[in-house]
Amino acid sequence: MASRFWTQPGSDSEDEESDYEEEVEPTGGETTTEPGLNPYLQANASDSEDSDDQKRVVRSAKDKRFDELSATVHQMKNAMNINDWVSLQESFDKINKQLEKVMRVTEAVKVPTLYIKALVLLEDFLGQALANKDAKKKMSSSNAKALNSMKQKLKKNNKQYEDLINKYRENPEQSEDDKPPEEESDDSDGTESVIDPNDIVSSDNEGPDEDDPEEDEPTEEGWQKKMSKKDKLMDKQFSKDPSEITWDSVNKKFKEVVAARGRKGTGRFEQVEQLTFLTKVAKTPAQKLEIFFSVVSAQFDVNPGLNGHMPINVWKKCVQNMQVILDILVKYPNIAVDDMVEPDENESQKGPDYDGTIRVWGNLVAFLERIDTEFFKSLQCIDPHTREYIERLRDEPMFLVLAQNVQEYLEQVENYKAAAKVALRRVELIYYKPQEVYDAMRKLAEHTGDGDYGEEPKAAEEGRAPSSFIVVPELVPRKPTFSESSRTMMDILVSLIYKYGDERTKARAMLCDIYHHALLDQFSTSRDLLLMSHLQDNVQQMDISTQILYNRAMAQLGLCAFRNGLITEAHSCLSELYSGGRVKELLAQGVSQSRYHEKTPEQERLERRRQMPYHMHINPELLEAVHLICAMLLEVPNMAANTHDAKRRLVSKTFRRLLEVSEKQTFTGPPENVRDHVMAASRALVKGDFQKAIDVINSLDIWKLLRNREHVLEMLKAKIKEEALRTYLFTFSSSYKTLSLEQLSMLFDLTEAQTHSIVSKMMINEELLASWDQPTCCIVFHDIEQTRLQALAFQLTEKLSILAESNERATEARIGGGGGLDLPQRRRDNQDYGAGSVAGSGGRWQDNMSFNQRQGGGAGRTGYNTGGRQFNQNAGGGYNRDRTGQYRGTGQNTRYQDGAYAGSGRSARGSQDTSSRMVSLNKGLRA
Amino acid sequence: MAEYDLTPRMAPNLDRHLVFPLLEFLQERQMYPDEQILKSKIELLNKTNMVDYAMDIHKSLYHTEDVPQDMVDRRVEVVARLKALEESAAPLVNFLQNAAAFQELKADRQYNLQMLNDRYQIGPEQIEALYQYAKFQFECGNYSGAADYLYQYRALCTNSDRNLSALWGKLAAEILMQNWDIALEELNRLKEIIDSKSFSSPMNQVQNRIWLMHWSLFIFFNHDNGRTQIIDLFNQDKYLNAIQTHAPHLVRYLATAFIVNKRRRPQFKDFIKVIQQEQHSYKDPITEFLTCVYVNYDFDGAQKKMRECEEVILNDPFLGKRVEEGNFSTVPLRDEFLENARLFIFETYCRIHQRIDMGVLAEKLNLNYEEAERWIVNLIRSSKLDAKIDSESGTVIMEPNHPNVYEQLIDHTKALSGRTYKLVGQILEHAQAQIAR
Repeated sequence: MASRFWTQPGSDSEDEESDYEEEVEPTGGETTTEPGLNPYLQANASDSEDSDDQKRVVRSAKDKRFDELSATVHQMKNAMNINDWVSLQESFDKINKQLEKVMRVTEAVKVPTLYIKALVLLEDFLGQALANKDAKKKMSSSNAKALNSMKQKLKKNNKQYEDLINKYRENPEQSEDDKPPEEESDDSDGTESVIDPNDIVSSDNEGPDEDDPEEDEPTEEGWQKKMSKKDKLMDKQFSKDPSEITWDSVNKKFKEVVAARGRKGTGRFEQVEQLTFLTKVAKTPAQKLEIFFSVVSAQFDVNPGLNGHMPINVWKKCVQNMQVILDILVKYPNIAVDDMVEPDENESQKGPDYDGTIRVWGNLVAFLERIDTEFFKSLQCIDPHTREYIERLRDEPMFLVLAQNVQEYLEQVENYKAAAKVALRRVELIYYKPQEVYDAMRKLAEHTGDGDYGEEPKAAEEGRAPSSFIVVPELVPRKPTFSESSRTMMDILVSLIYKYGDERTKARAMLCDIYHHALLDQFSTSRDLLLMSHLQDNVQQMDISTQILYNRAMAQLGLCAFRNGLITEAHSCLSELYSGGRVKELLAQGVSQSRYHEKTPEQERLERRRQMPYHMHINPELLEAVHLICAMLLEVPNMAANTHDAKRRLVSKTFRRLLEVSEKQTFTGPPENVRDHVMAASRALVKGDFQKAIDVINSLDIWKLLRNREHVLEMLKAKIKEEALRTYLFTFSSSYKTLSLEQLSMLFDLTEAQTHSIVSKMMINEELLASWDQPTCCIVFHDIEQTRLQALAFQLTEKLSILAESNERATEARIGGGGGLDLPQRRRDNQDYGAGSVAGSGGRWQDNMSFNQRQGGGAGRTGYNTGGRQFNQNAGGGYNRDRTGQYRGTGQNTRYQDGAYAGSGRSARGSQDTSSRMVSLNKGLRA
Repeated sequence: MAEYDLTPRMAPNLDRHLVFPLLEFLQERQMYPDEQILKSKIELLNKTNMVDYAMDIHKSLYHTEDVPQDMVDRRVEVVARLKALEESAAPLVNFLQNAAAFQELKADRQYNLQMLNDRYQIGPEQIEALYQYAKFQFECGNYSGAADYLYQYRALCTNSDRNLSALWGKLAAEILMQNWDIALEELNRLKEIIDSKSFSSPMNQVQNRIWLMHWSLFIFFNHDNGRTQIIDLFNQDKYLNAIQTHAPHLVRYLATAFIVNKRRRPQFKDFIKVIQQEQHSYKDPITEFLTCVYVNYDFDGAQKKMRECEEVILNDPFLGKRVEEGNFSTVPLRDEFLENARLFIFETYCRIHQRIDMGVLAEKLNLNYEEAERWIVNLIRSSKLDAKIDSESGTVIMEPNHPNVYEQLIDHTKALSGRTYKLVGQILEHAQAQIAR
């Protein structure tokens, strides 16, 4: 049955096609309206298509078309009777569409007479209507409009059928008589086309109107039919002599299949299978390559939604196909892959022995990135607590080897820019893995490497298709090679990226590098990298996923600093992350619900799409514990030092708030979560009870997540003791005149040298007004603690100087800056008071203001996370309102500032606190 | 003591010829076996044109009279090349040596070039030859000749890159001739060029700065004013960053300069922070000493470190420079360093103590009791220390020094009224001006 196509590959079908082309062309060209298909009809059609008896099916479909056509003609007649041009116009559009379908179903050369008849009728009626001026005037406006447009449409349409119409006018009867035989011939045509569906498809697609949406249905039909018989077809085709398959025929078929891509109703899986089949019959390596590229992109199409992920088996096949592509590329080095220029139509005709480069359209990097993204997405979607997730994770080496091969190939062809991109993908799979995990992955890749690749698909292939025309041996390695340590691997990849990557690639690689260094406890290296790269300054302008990566790197850096005992550094890395209470969101490790506003489903979907897969998570509990403990170690002595100091500087607002809340509780139960533990420890520390604090902290079970747990806990113990000593001295120094060193070191279980060093440091920094009495080894306290009156007097003078300063500024602005400054000036004063009562210091309000301004400006820019953006706008709005000079009470103003401040951490990440952090981690700017 | 030897870290940043003095010093100090040093000397000389010298060293190293053939060959080659270069540069050299003709040169470079071209047929090729010749002279060890030629070349050269390398050459030559004043001038000139020139990449600029700093060590530790100038140079942000990123070992010299300087500088505190930060990448007894005194307040540790510092200084080619006075040879920098370091310890110690036993103090200062007493008395007399000695109990008692609360309050508010008056005045003035208008 199908043999026709194959036995007479050249001329016959070609002729037919050209005929069809002529016919199809005009109809397709003029129809511009959307497909308004009857879903029932369509469904019916395809349903019946599946049944075995093809002949009957086609007949019924054709009959249906004709029925539809005549029904529409009937409608038109009715509309003419009531002179309803609007519905007439609709019917006309419909009939045109239907005509096309009919044509396609019947494969008719001639337009059905029924249609011509309708056209003639319509033309006559139109002439009448136009002639009758009075009637025209009486028409409703919409009707008249429809009439006019009808006139034009008809004129245009009828031009194409001029001959036929004239013939019909001359001899209507004869045309009518002609009909039955014509149908007969149509039938025979139809049968044939069913038998060899490829012809239909090709004839349809060869026309210039390829993207005409109206072709959907017939195309689908073609596919459906083809599907039902596909295997049979393939067998048949293979049983033929391979020599009879020419490049042309394969190419033609390939074009057909590709053209169907993306159409409504095109079976995606089927397309993949068809293309896969075509790869086997490809005549030249270039063609094979070309088809393989299409296979891969068709595989990407299998799952069109943005939220779902590609089916895993398809993904695996996709990876294998990519490997084969690389095999081909490596074997035939004269084939170049390019996506810049549209290559010559017949470029792939050139055989393997063609000397000179053969250009094939394709983009390896884009494919690879897509594969990676799909992998990532699948991990996002799969429930991390299932076995499936672990199974999926085991596929990672598979991707890594592909990436490695692609990168090697790209380096070989000296496309380093692309290679850098691929290297980044590899880096992003490695950077979060500590050495242990890396080793595990390496072992996995080595052990299962042989079994997994190649065998399974081969078995499947062998069963059906013993050989393809172009056999490519597996040239590229199917097993990844890993460096001994993850660090060396990172170093190799990262240095390549730094050399050739573009800005974004470099920034991401740098962040991964920082993360990885931090993971390996190399705090100073990763800090240096961070400061040298100036990422903090411009991370604001980067895309969201890079910002997430930045947040992750900062979190990891904080953990690293903590493990190294650098409490201040750890705190400054982490405090920003926690200042907004949106850690989960910032790290993309979950969606946090906000009390203040609802997220639109769109926002939620966006957020879900950027989530990190579970295995990449930074343990949130550990992070929280580290942050709170750091805050505790810094804040508790700080609180003790400035009990009644107006310009107390808060080290950690978050911690303060938590502590206040926990202190308000009437009854405190035993600690349950991380927060409770730290709060309990803080309460003990405030009293100087270091042992209890240590015990509580030690009882946290998250410590088991730390690699060198003993060491860290030891460090923590020492720190707690030290801070307990400091707190004790701050709190109780006023009660003593002298204190002996021995007693102190006994109290806090420290060596005398340590105690001496700590106390000396406090003396030098003038935190403790005391000095040593060397002969007796005592601390002698100078009793010069300020009285309350004196303290208040100091506060007063400070406020006075703030007032004077702001007055000066105001006059300066007024006198120096010229007119028009009235409003800003008032605003400034306004903020001044607010700030004064919040912070009570002159230096602070400036910070606040400059920050506010920045926020106002930054609202339009990319604030990460949608919530933050919303907040930003609020803040910006408030700022604007302020600017218009609306007076706000001091209290209100304060609140406003608080609000803005609270919003700072998450929206203006890195910008506001950069300065302070730059100081604390100060390494200076590097040239 | 070889563990604190910085020569291996310094050498890559120095000119071959500049490394030579360092090797000489090492040989003198006997830090490494002689053989090893001689071998590295030969290696060093192999790439230069000082073949005769290399031959001498070879002889003394292997105690033979034979010289390897390649050295002989090289000598012939060098001489030939010298001849050739001499010839090609001859017209210009002759012109420069001709006093009368030399007078014709004016301050205008364009004019000079024009004039040379027109009247003496000296074109760019000859000028280029002069540069090559000068370079060759330098390679041969004839530094004074090289310096002269390079000076002339710079007056005539139009290529800014060439100019820069000529300047480097001149600096090296001056350093090797130990003309510290001139070298310092060249150094400053070079620094200006490096800071103002736009380099192809920031890395290049940093590299240039690193070289400059390394080379400058020769000058700074020999020039009278060098110790303050080294702080001025090294402590600039750009240079400090360069040190931190690429040559943390230079911290030693900066630290020494800070300690040796009598005057306390405001940057000192920041520098301590730098030392703390760089702990992981570089530390030696000198930086550790500062950490002990200013970070950990570990005075016993500081004591120990001070002794180690002495060793380090003696073995450092820059710091341990000897001065022969009659029969004595002293290391002036060591004495100064120790004196100041002692002062550092004492100062800090006093700040946190109210009463100190003289005996303990003497021990801490590495002095005996009498000396310590005299030392303290001198300090009190020069009003550097607000303290009294209680000889009965043998202690020093610090005078407490706390600002009076009332004074503080007055200080705070004193300026306010003045400021307000000024403000009022300004406003009135403004208002009157507006009325007048």
